Amino acid sequence: MNEITVRMKVNGRAHTARTAGRTTLADLLRDQLGLTGLHLGCEQGVCGACTVMVDGLPMRACLTLAGACEGSDVVTIEGLEGPDADRLRDAFSRHGALQCGFCTPGMLLSGHHLVCARQPLDREEVSVAMSGNICRCTGYNGIVSAVGEALERGIAAEEAATATWNDEE
Amino acid sequence: MKAPDFQYHRPTTVDEAIKLLTDAGDDGKVIAGGQSLVPLMNMRLAEPETLIDLTGVEELRSSRKTPTGARYGATTTHMMFEHELVPDVTRGLLPHAAAGIGYPAIRNRGTVGGSLAHSDSAAEWPTVMSALDAAVHARSARGTRTIPVRELLLGFFTTVLEADELITEVEVPSLTPTARWGMHKMCRKPGEFADSMAVARGEGNAHGSWQEVELWLGAATDRPLRLSGTEAAVHGKSSADLAPVRLVEPLAADIGQDLSAIDSTGRHALQLHAVTVHRALRAAERDDTA
Repeated sequence: MNEITVRMKVNGRAHTARTAGRTTLADLLRDQLGLTGLHLGCEQGVCGACTVMVDGLPMRACLTLAGACEGSDVVTIEGLEGPDADRLRDAFSRHGALQCGFCTPGMLLSGHHLVCARQPLDREEVSVAMSGNICRCTGYNGIVSAVGEALERGIAAEEAATATWNDEE
Repeated sequence: MKAPDFQYHRPTTVDEAIKLLTDAGDDGKVIAGGQSLVPLMNMRLAEPETLIDLTGVEELRSSRKTPTGARYGATTTHMMFEHELVPDVTRGLLPHAAAGIGYPAIRNRGTVGGSLAHSDSAAEWPTVMSALDAAVHARSARGTRTIPVRELLLGFFTTVLEADELITEVEVPSLTPTARWGMHKMCRKPGEFADSMAVARGEGNAHGSWQEVELWLGAATDRPLRLSGTEAAVHGKSSADLAPVRLVEPLAADIGQDLSAIDSTGRHALQLHAVTVHRALRAAERDDTA
């Protein structure tokens, strides 16, 4: 086996891992670091169940070699925290945006990136932006509604905070 | 499935990458974003013995404007074109094309040099860069050379690049201020590979008809195709003068198909290409009515 050493931060903790050169980020996270929240569906970049954040951007962990993440900052569903993550989880639960849950970690990572961007999107635009994540249960309506609502609430919260801040000036 | 085992290298300079590639010989393969290569390796359609990862080479990520256009580092990601984090000299064609590639998570890793070296005619960059008459700068231990994209692509997964050669930059000439362009990608779901993809570029006259027109078609054959016969049919007209069905005959000739001998599947594909070309023309004419 051609072993390599990879140093990366995962969910805020520094890790040094010895692994095979062929190991993907997904396999490293699941098999060596025990982070089984990300799921492997297709292993060819189509389903999106393995989506994680690498240096602040959603990426396919199944199409990212572990070695390419040397020095990177990785966030998985286990480490997805903060007000936007809470809004998204809350919206997913209220809209019934999941059934079996297999796609949900990837959906939340992709959705979280949209919510953080604070760019207003209509329903069609949310659908297109989320089209890289496949769900075989829900029919997507709940997912699109949940992401759209979390985004709206994120924007509203920021506007409210800015208004308060301006009032205090 | 998982990729077979390989020797993995992650150099930090182009010189180091070229040395590794030369040493690896025919069994070496370059990986950048890996959004096409990793699936192929996972399915064991590609089994390189040595993989040279370019994601650690900083000099391949820089882009700059030149007097005639722009030069983009080979590992510039689709996302960087989409969000114009690199200069656009094509009046919006590069960002438009980039936004149609795969999904956000794919665009965050996939690179322009990787896509050209991969040479899939159903992907965006081969057709778009052919239409723009872009060129790649390639380097090996033997020196550097410039290869027009129109000569680079030989067929599916086949280019004129030698085993020890590396794309370092993609050079795109500027579009003139009066040039118009239109692109249409036909696919069933956002992010999928195209069933058909067309780029129209050229100049219109005062009445909005095509004075000069260049048409490129992707996903029809194993490499992007220049549609010379269809261009002749379009010349002096605008998309409103032409029903898509009138493009079928010249298109068949350009693709090299005998209309009298094709079956219904082939006829459907031709119809799809004709509609796609027509929509690209129409998209290019959008500014005339604005």
